Formats: sequence, structure tokens, C-alpha cells
Amino acid sequence: MIELHGLSKSFGIVRAVDDVTAVVEAGQVTAFLGPNGAGKTTTLRMLLGLVAPTRGSATFGGRRYDEIPDPVRHVGAVLEASGFHPGRTALDHLRVLATAARLPRDAPMRALADTGLEDAARRRVGEFSLGMRQRLGLAAAMLGDPAVLVLDEPTNGLDPQGIRWLRGYVRQLADEGRTVLVSSHALSEVEQTADHVLLIVEGRLIRSSTLAALRAEAGVGCRVRTPEPERLSTVLAAAGHRVRTEDEDLAVDTAAEQVGELAATHRIVLHRLNPTAGLEEAFFHLTEQLARVDDTPLHGAPV
Amino acid sequence: MNALIRAELLKLRTTRMLPWLLLATLALVVVTVAANIASADPDDVALPLHDPALLGRVIGLSFGVPQVLVTVLGVLAFTQEVRYGTITSTFLVEPRRSRILVAKAVALVLSAVVIAAATLGVSVALSMALIGAKDGNVTTGGQFWQIVAAVFVAMVLYGLIGLALGALLRDQIVAVTATLVWLGPAEHLLIDALPEVGRWTPGGATFGLLQLGPALSENGTLLHAAVGGLLLLGYTITAAALALTVAPRRDVL
Repeated sequence: MIELHGLSKSFGIVRAVDDVTAVVEAGQVTAFLGPNGAGKTTTLRMLLGLVAPTRGSATFGGRRYDEIPDPVRHVGAVLEASGFHPGRTALDHLRVLATAARLPRDAPMRALADTGLEDAARRRVGEFSLGMRQRLGLAAAMLGDPAVLVLDEPTNGLDPQGIRWLRGYVRQLADEGRTVLVSSHALSEVEQTADHVLLIVEGRLIRSSTLAALRAEAGVGCRVRTPEPERLSTVLAAAGHRVRTEDEDLAVDTAAEQVGELAATHRIVLHRLNPTAGLEEAFFHLTEQLARVDDTPLHGAPV
Repeated sequence: MNALIRAELLKLRTTRMLPWLLLATLALVVVTVAANIASADPDDVALPLHDPALLGRVIGLSFGVPQVLVTVLGVLAFTQEVRYGTITSTFLVEPRRSRILVAKAVALVLSAVVIAAATLGVSVALSMALIGAKDGNVTTGGQFWQIVAAVFVAMVLYGLIGLALGALLRDQIVAVTATLVWLGPAEHLLIDALPEVGRWTPGGATFGLLQLGPALSENGTLLHAAVGGLLLLGYTITAAALALTVAPRRDVL
């Protein structure tokens, strides 16, 4: 379990992270969401002992990262801007880490096999695509078979196939009982994977809830398929809803229940009606709420 | 700590940097030795051909370039990790950062000894052959063994100073440029222009340690070898203490 308690970080007069308190449970994928510059990376780096907090604490099972003996065996991390020497092979990169962490000699090859990089083991990292580097980062994180995994923007640079693979991989790790914390600014990337969401905006944690609760709270929208799209569009527009055509469907900016009721009232047949409210929309709703509650800009605000 | 040292040695062995640096060092040592012996003649003040100290002096002079390169190796041992972002995973494996710096220092000492030994082998063999070809004095008398010992000390200390500089400056381009400018023109200009001041610089201390720099010697300003060695050690300890104090506390962004 990861615990953040009153975690804050200021860089000069800029308050990058402001009093973040949260719990990340085991056996779940917890998404750490927020736009670029919201303070996600700084928070994760404080969690991992790379950045010293101005105030507060971040612990794994009650211990700070630097208090954990053999931390690689307990916590694996893939951070943005953590890199690789381009002249070193993938296997050598992992061998360096495994040697320093006193891991078994077969750990690097096992981690490469788990992440689908076995065939590229002896290629220099300079020849790797961004997606392969992300996989290598994951392999490094999984070297010590840790119970906790911290991933900072892991989908960056991945192609759709890689993103699909990553979703499955992350889900599998959580299903094995591990604690998985994944940060992302691309809300759609975590929507299909996350169980719990921590939403951070301008350094402040503005929401900690299940994905379902967040979606229900803020998200509205649906896709509807009907043999009478023009008639339904007219009815919806007359009711004040925005409608646009997407492939064979209509995308509507209101809840599926309302569309269903309107269609029933006007005796319009529906072939399909799916809610599409996503985290993207929920995110905007919540950030708008925050902006209304507090007009003071947090990011860059004097400490 | 042993595991960290083995990892640092593995880092040095698994890129092409070390072999290229070693190759460049040996090539430049060959050029330096050949040029120095070509200029040696019976009446030369700096390199008298029949002086028993000739061999030691030529060996000492040939270590100017290796000292620069081992310093750069030290600088790169830290700054390359910052440049490529591997410093993050290094500190994640061992969050007690001073232990990383110590492991790097030990790995660098071992590397400096190997580079010094390889360079010495080439330098001594070539010097003996070339001096012999000119019917010069090829005895290993005079200060020869003192210089051989001093070469190892200087190489190790320069490597450690480089590592400390890299840990303090972090930016690879800034650190390497500063090192090359100081060890190249800046320090030599200072020593030539103001020998009384220059002999107290790291370069001046090294001249004293290796008993080089005939101009300084003639002026009576060359430090005694032991004083030069101790002064260089003092610079190294100061730089290391600063690095061990500052580097572990910095945020890794």
C-alpha cells in the first residue's frame, strides 16, 4: 500500500505539489490523472525518494523509499526522463541494475522475455523505438519482481498495439495482487484499465474515487444507433442537446437515459444505446468545478 | 558495496567510451613520447640525452594527456548518467546516494590504475627504444621509479577530481568544457605567467609530484614531490567532500 500524507513541494516561489494526501491500495490499478504540469511526476519522484518533499511524507507500507532494504525487490518504477545509455545493449542495461541490486543472474533475461524484448536483448538501446524503450523501462521495473509498481506516463510513444499490450500487462500485475500506480495525462489511456482514480490539478489532489463513481458524478454522453437518425437528431436538437454523426451512430452530449426516454416518447426505434461518458469529460467537469470554487491560480502561486 | 562497485565497473565495460578513451590516450602518448625524444639532444636543458633522469622525465611528460583523459573519464562517470537519465534508475537501486558516489570512485580508481599501467607500458617501451636509437641514456635510474609511482598517484587523484567535478556540475558539456579549458590552456598559462601562484594549482602540484616543468625548477618554484602529492591529495579530498555533501541532497528531476 502506498500512502501520501500532506505531500508538498515548492520550487522557489512555485508550489508544484500542494498538500497531497492519498492511499493507493494493493490489487488495484490506480490512475494518477492530471494535465501536463499538474504535479504528477514531481509527486511520483517524491514518492521514490528522488525529490525531497518540502513538507509531508510518502511511504510504502509505512516506510520511506530510502528506508526499504533492497528497494528494487519491493518497488519497480518507470519514470519519465529516466533513460538508457544508447550505446549499451538492453541486456547490459538490465545486467547493470541487476548486479547493483544483487538479483539473480537470470533476472535480466526473464524480465526481457516478460516484456517481449527477448529477441532485442543484445541490440544497443540507441537502435530502439520509443515503444521498445518503454518496454525496456518496464523490464527494468519488473527486474526484482516487486509488489508495487509505479509507472509515469507509460503509454507515451507506444503505438496502439503497444498500448493494448500495456493495458493487459498492467491489469495482469494488479490481478496478481500488486499495487499499481499509473500516471497519465491521456485520460482515455487509463479508462479501460484503472479501478481507482486520483485526479491532480495544479498541484492539488482534487478527487480520489473509483472510476465508476467519477464517471457517474461528472460524465454524461452516449452513442446511439437508430434506423431513423435524422428524426432522432431533430428531436434531440429540439430538446437542446448537441448531436453529431459518427460512422453509423449519433454521438449525443447527454445521458443515455434521457436519449432513451426521448426516443420512447417519439416512438423512435433504437438499435443500440451506449453511454460514452469518459474520464476525459469527467476530468473537464471536475477541473471546471475547481476553477469555479477557487479563482486563485494554484500553479505558480506564491508559497 | 561490492555489488555497487561491480555494477559501476560493468557500466564502464558495457559502452564503447572506455576503449575509445584508452585508444586515444595511447595514440597521444606515442605522439608525445616521439616528439619529446626527437627534441632531446646532449645539450638540451630540459631533456639532456645522456642524463640518467632522461627516461623518467620523458615518462612523466608523457602523462599530461592521460591525466586529462582520466579526468574526463571521471567527469563522464557521473555526467553521462545525468545526460542519458540513467541516474534515476541508479538512485532507485541504491537510494543512499553517497554509496553510489563511493562505488563510482572505487571503480574509477581501478580504471585509472589499469589505464596508467597500459599507458606506462607503451610509454616506457617506446621511450627506451627511441632513446636507445639515439644512443641516449636508458637507465632506469634517477627519479624513474619515483615518477612511475607518482604517475599512478596522479592518475588516480585526477580521476577522482573529475568524478567530483561531474557530480557537482552535472551538465556534461559544461563539466567537460570546464575540465578541458582548465587542464589545457588556462592552468598552463597561469603556471607560465605566475609560477609562484601556479605551483599551488593542481597542475603545479602535479609538476612537483612528477618533478617536471624545468622552467619552474630553474626558477626554484617547483614544489617538492611530497608536497606536490599532498597538495593534489588535498584538492582531491576537498572536491570529494564537496561532491559527497552536495550531490546526495539534490533533487533528481
